[in-house]
Amino acid sequence: MKRRGTIATATAAALAALVVTACSSGGTSSTTGTGSSGNNTSANFFNKGLTQVMNPSTHKGGTVTYESHAAPDSFDGGNTYYAWVLNFSRLYEMAMFTYKSCPGQCGLTLVPRLATDMGTASADGKTWTFHIQSGVKYENGSTVTASDVKYAIERTYDRSVMANGPTYYQAILTDPTYPGPYKDKSPNKMGLTAIDVPNATTLVFHLQAAFPDLPYVLAFPSTAPVPPASDTGANYQLHPLATGPYKFQTYQLNKQLTLVPNTAWSASTDPQAKQLASKIVMNLNVNQANVDNLLLTNQAQVDAAGVGVGPAAQAKIETNSTYKANAVNPINGFARFVYIDTKVAPFTNLHCREAVEYAANKTTLQDAWGGPIAGGQIASTVNPPNIIGFSKFDLYNALSQPNGDVSDAKTQLQQCGQPNGFSTTMGYRNDNPQETAAATALQASLQQVGIKLTLKGFAGGTYYTSFCGDPAYVHSHSLGLCAGGWGADWPDGYGFLDELSNGNAIASTGNTNIEELNDSVINNLFAKANTETGAARTAIWAQVDHQIMADAGILPEVYQKSLIYVPTSATNVFVQTYYGMLDYLAIGASSGS
Amino acid sequence: MIFFIIRRLFMTVFLLLVVSLVTFAIFFLVPRLAGQTAYQLAAQYVGKNPIPSEIKTVETKLGLNAPIWLQYGRYIKGIILGTHYNAGPDVSYCPFPCFGYSFRNQQPVWPQLISDAPVTISLAIGAGVLWLIGGVAIGVLSALRKGSFFDRFSMGMALAGVSLPIFFTGLLALTLFSYKWQIFPNVHFVSFTANPVQWAKNLVLPWIVLAFQYAALYARITRAGMLETMGEDYIRTARAKGLPERRVIVKHGLRSTLTPIVTIFGMDLGLLLGGAILTETVFSMQGLGYFTFLAIQNQDLPEIMGVVLLASFFIIIANLVVDILYTIIDPRVRI
Repeated sequence: MKRRGTIATATAAALAALVVTACSSGGTSSTTGTGSSGNNTSANFFNKGLTQVMNPSTHKGGTVTYESHAAPDSFDGGNTYYAWVLNFSRLYEMAMFTYKSCPGQCGLTLVPRLATDMGTASADGKTWTFHIQSGVKYENGSTVTASDVKYAIERTYDRSVMANGPTYYQAILTDPTYPGPYKDKSPNKMGLTAIDVPNATTLVFHLQAAFPDLPYVLAFPSTAPVPPASDTGANYQLHPLATGPYKFQTYQLNKQLTLVPNTAWSASTDPQAKQLASKIVMNLNVNQANVDNLLLTNQAQVDAAGVGVGPAAQAKIETNSTYKANAVNPINGFARFVYIDTKVAPFTNLHCREAVEYAANKTTLQDAWGGPIAGGQIASTVNPPNIIGFSKFDLYNALSQPNGDVSDAKTQLQQCGQPNGFSTTMGYRNDNPQETAAATALQASLQQVGIKLTLKGFAGGTYYTSFCGDPAYVHSHSLGLCAGGWGADWPDGYGFLDELSNGNAIASTGNTNIEELNDSVINNLFAKANTETGAARTAIWAQVDHQIMADAGILPEVYQKSLIYVPTSATNVFVQTYYGMLDYLAIGASSGS
Repeated sequence: MIFFIIRRLFMTVFLLLVVSLVTFAIFFLVPRLAGQTAYQLAAQYVGKNPIPSEIKTVETKLGLNAPIWLQYGRYIKGIILGTHYNAGPDVSYCPFPCFGYSFRNQQPVWPQLISDAPVTISLAIGAGVLWLIGGVAIGVLSALRKGSFFDRFSMGMALAGVSLPIFFTGLLALTLFSYKWQIFPNVHFVSFTANPVQWAKNLVLPWIVLAFQYAALYARITRAGMLETMGEDYIRTARAKGLPERRVIVKHGLRSTLTPIVTIFGMDLGLLLGGAILTETVFSMQGLGYFTFLAIQNQDLPEIMGVVLLASFFIIIANLVVDILYTIIDPRVRI
């Protein structure tokens, strides 16, 4: 017995020593001082990358390794909607427009890329003329023409092949029933009448109604040119023909992508992009914990998904000053809400909705989403701060009383005829742990004022198509509240607020105006915005935001943030404010990579 | 022997049909019975904020609006006779064995399985060799040195191997050897044909982690079997006849112990060839196991069907090989 006990104790001690050794971390030498390239990393501080360039370097060469915990929906620019792919695809595809490659608010500025300028709209706003640069070449040396851009847009109309990307063209342009080029019987597959190509460098768009944000829509990679002869439909994702600084070398589907410099690319035609690294490798479907550890040990340079590190790495970064100095914590453009359905009793009464706004404990909601660093900033408005037209206000004391304003909530309950509270049901996605925690937190805080919340969970895949996004289901099951979130397709108030609050956005399935707000004040403001430009237009978004909150249709929870770690082996790193993640067009590798 | 193999191969086809039917029922029929519609299923394969007509288009493209029995019939027909697929500008032909096209990325399933199989095969066979040799050797030595320090220590480690889950030992191994000491940095799969040395180096950690778990069981079974066998009369007779001790242990002792070892090894290897989900996930090696995990997560039904059929094939063939090996190990066995 004594010998067995000695052996067991020794074994346990050895294992414990291994675990303690593994868990202790003082950071590695490569995270301090000067990185292996000689680029200056000692001047880094937490959040430097929000407004300045981290690890500035002009070094050319090396390999930038991206790691991603998931696969893309598609690397075909015409068939993707993932934010990180929209960012990454700019390395190999030139869309008509892009966002300025600079840290800070200037990153929200839309600039021409393939286009020569911001385009010209007719007096009624229904016809837009754009010119593309002459001399831009594909990787095979052939020249890009305006017809190729038209063809690229046409591809997105065939949803049986291109099911993933946005569908703005069908909603904005004339000829919405165009079947797509694969069913197009016209010569050269140029049958979309909404776009004219009078010459090799000119495109004329015909709109159903004035739409000042058209250039934003043309910033999607669906406008990256595709020559019809090279189009392989669903297989195009395996090797899109490059116009950007890099081109596909190899791609093992959903495993690994390798990009090498595109020798046909010219920096003079593409000032927003850089061609620093001599190779870019993207590893897909890598366990998130491995991604984080590869970054922390400088074995990789970028977490491609751009939504921040996992909980274990977060703890390491927050408690280690060396790691923290190389981290950045941007608002990523996504906001988390609870929709308060204005058509489900008792929320048909404004005061009942306002009771929820006051009673919600924003601090516990923030904790549920991951706390102030990895979760987000307590929100008091629908528009997050990185949207053009953002205006800060706080109608329901979310900032001044983040633990909830019970007193005002009870006053509102009196006014809505429910002095002792009421019962309602809340829908949420039960396969999202943070959303589940947030729903539970809200349930507890509303309980304090007598509002009894029954939580009803749904699978994320069909949440918007069949449950909370289906008004008929919402009404028949009395879902007074629904959890959700939103990220803008482009960074102005229209891109963020229209789908959320315009009365004409209410749909029978996939509904995004989940609170079913049909306020003529808001609707008229959107109509007015389509006739305005510049500062006058920008000012409208704050009014819309204010009216949504006055209607108490949405309970804002947090403006989501990501904790992103920047290895010292990555150079020229900063946050691209629109994407809310690092700017992939700028990143290079240190000489040791 | 030949007739036995032919008979088993026919059984294999029948078994695979049964497996395909059951799998199809689980992933296609049961959700329908629970109320899921073809429309709801198609909605998962369309981008953000789809309009109803887009979902209907995808529903038709994927054949989800056909009756379940017809969908199954088309699937089996596709495996045997191949199928045509509309990829956009032209129609692709998917030859035998065509396991359909992924709902999510519209690529044929069979090439993806072939691409992932080397990862799982490398992982399973490498770990299998390690755990078989290691487990049996430790079991034999423990039996021969029963009650010694070596015996107690090795059985203690065997207990640890069986008790500690792979997501613990794997992560610990990565933390120490890949991230902290960087003895095996940046562990990811490298094809044997691309670089045999790197292939082996990057697989050392997953092999050891996987073998650690399985070797434990083999050590204990071998030890128990050897203890029983080495006490038999014929072993005493062999020693009395003056045979070398090594020959007594290996040819007479171990050989009798091997039958259950071979049975378990065949089952374990067959199961692993279908995908070592936990190991592949921990080490981010995209083999058939990780493929299965993603297919289920994405509800990509053709991928699920394909990987289940392939995994079943491996298990059935592994059992066939085990049955054949019996006749070699134990001459008393006839098939």
